[in-house]
Amino acid sequence: MIELRGVKKVIGQEEILKGIDIEIKKGEFVAIIGASGSGKSSMLYIMGLLDRPTEGEVFFEEERIDFSEEEKISKIRNQKLGFVFQFHYLLPEFSLLENVMIPAIRLGMRREEARERAYELLKRLGLAGKENRKIYQISGGEMQRVAIARALINKPLVILADEPTGNLDSKNTQAVMDIFKDINSEGTTIVMVTHELELARQAHRIVEMKDGRIL
Amino acid sequence: MNYILFVAFKMLFERRRQTLVSVLGVSVGVCAFIVMSSLMLGFQNYFIQQVIDLEPHIKIKPREEAQEVEKYTILLGAKPKEKDRILGWQEIIKDLEEDPQVLGSAERLISRGILKYGIKDKPITLIGINPQREPKASVIERFLVYKRLDKLETNRTGVIIGSLVARSLGIKELGKKLVLVAPNGKSLLVSVEDFFDSGITNIDDTRVYINIKTLQSLLERQGEVNEIVLKIRDVDSAERLARELKEKIPYEVESWQRAYRNFLSIFKIQNIITYMIVFAILTVSAFGIFNIIMMTVLEKKKDIAILMAMGFTRRDTLLIFMVQGLIIGVFGSIIGSFLGFGLQEYLESVRLDVEGLIRTKGFVLDRSPILYLYAFAFSLFFSLLASLYPSYRASRLNPVDIFRSQ
Repeated sequence: MIELRGVKKVIGQEEILKGIDIEIKKGEFVAIIGASGSGKSSMLYIMGLLDRPTEGEVFFEEERIDFSEEEKISKIRNQKLGFVFQFHYLLPEFSLLENVMIPAIRLGMRREEARERAYELLKRLGLAGKENRKIYQISGGEMQRVAIARALINKPLVILADEPTGNLDSKNTQAVMDIFKDINSEGTTIVMVTHELELARQAHRIVEMKDGRIL
Repeated sequence: MNYILFVAFKMLFERRRQTLVSVLGVSVGVCAFIVMSSLMLGFQNYFIQQVIDLEPHIKIKPREEAQEVEKYTILLGAKPKEKDRILGWQEIIKDLEEDPQVLGSAERLISRGILKYGIKDKPITLIGINPQREPKASVIERFLVYKRLDKLETNRTGVIIGSLVARSLGIKELGKKLVLVAPNGKSLLVSVEDFFDSGITNIDDTRVYINIKTLQSLLERQGEVNEIVLKIRDVDSAERLARELKEKIPYEVESWQRAYRNFLSIFKIQNIITYMIVFAILTVSAFGIFNIIMMTVLEKKKDIAILMAMGFTRRDTLLIFMVQGLIIGVFGSIIGSFLGFGLQEYLESVRLDVEGLIRTKGFVLDRSPILYLYAFAFSLFFSLLASLYPSYRASRLNPVDIFRSQ
């Protein structure tokens, strides 16, 4: 599904990634662990085609990614990838429903259809009845569930999650993990960056990183 | 485009107070543009239209030095020299009337004089006209209060006097007897047959029309004319036609644009000053737009990053912010147009005596819809220009840098 070959990333004088080779297979639930500064988030950004490697190649669905093709990459991000971050990054101007709708509208879906699908997702994630609220009217755990719904609306092949439970209490953390496992069981590939081994153990595979390398 | 509008409208609506201030800024600029242009062009067009209607489009007259001679003859009391006349004027007129560009022509004899009424007297410009031929070369009748041009034909000592000449002498009624003193010292008792009111102060304050034959006789210049006036098909081509005629006729040929070049130059300067003021207002409103969009971009870096992660391209991001500038511009223009329209209506209803270069009973406004189109175009241009840089900045943001910085 996603493959990185000999990927290096240099920022300024610092080499963040020092030759990464990794393949994420379809339907996998992969947890990437490592200490802070080990390069796990940088690797995730390259996997998610948000950042380009300084050296090396990235393949998505066996096709080599040309990072100069911005339109094409944006289309892949919109249709085939979903992102969940430690901070929810919900847009404060929009209601919860509208936040979830945005990627679908970007895809070209009719507004009514997008609204329906967003509502179904929010309902599935236990947010029915709160769809018209603004983000400041809900809790941190609920915000993260809205962010997950937003990542799922275009039925992506892969969900890339960067410390998705980093700001949550244990109850909400487990709730998010349960959602991921549920999504994964339906065939969606999940790559999750975490520094908590307990959470990583719930994934199919654990990839450990240290100083820009996979151990 | 649907998704661009969806996001752009939301962002603007959420900051409605700042948005409203920006919209009002544009509205004021648009309103100022419409009203100031309307006032300025209204006045200028009115003046030019009066001049075009009243004055000949082209004048043929003896060269400048000949007119100078007449000044000395007035001072010295001598008879004008031969130069202050147009020789063979009948042939010239005949030739000119064959020209398809010429609608009509008429001969005139022009002199200075003094009009006396009781103890009052006033220096005037005496224009000897042929009452039958004159309407072919000007729309003089339109400016006559009683439309009695034909009376100059039947009453050879009849005169038509400018409304301000009449006011200076204290004449309010027709039939009043006046003494006309010519430069050669001769005088004639004349009667007022009509008043002439063009609305242009310097014309109404000096002109007196009289039958050309009477004036020729008074000046002892039988059969002489010193001006041929032309009305042409295309008033804007007067200058070109005047240059062409100059090649053929050994006299001074002057277009209306040349005769009024001082005024037209003043209008140009007036336009420059007015538009500079209006553009200053529009620039200030553009800075308002720049400010709000730049603030949005700086405050919304995280949102821009997540939009990009969700598949929005750099172009989409650029458009989201450009569209915000455009929306402010469009709403500002609409509100500004309504304000401008309202202010025009008000100014048009105001009754006051304006007496300067022109005389009117209120503001003369140009109500042309094209002014609204120009205001719209300028305001949209300024709005887009103001939003260009912040939008570009937004589109160049690197989402990864923003995610890393959190």
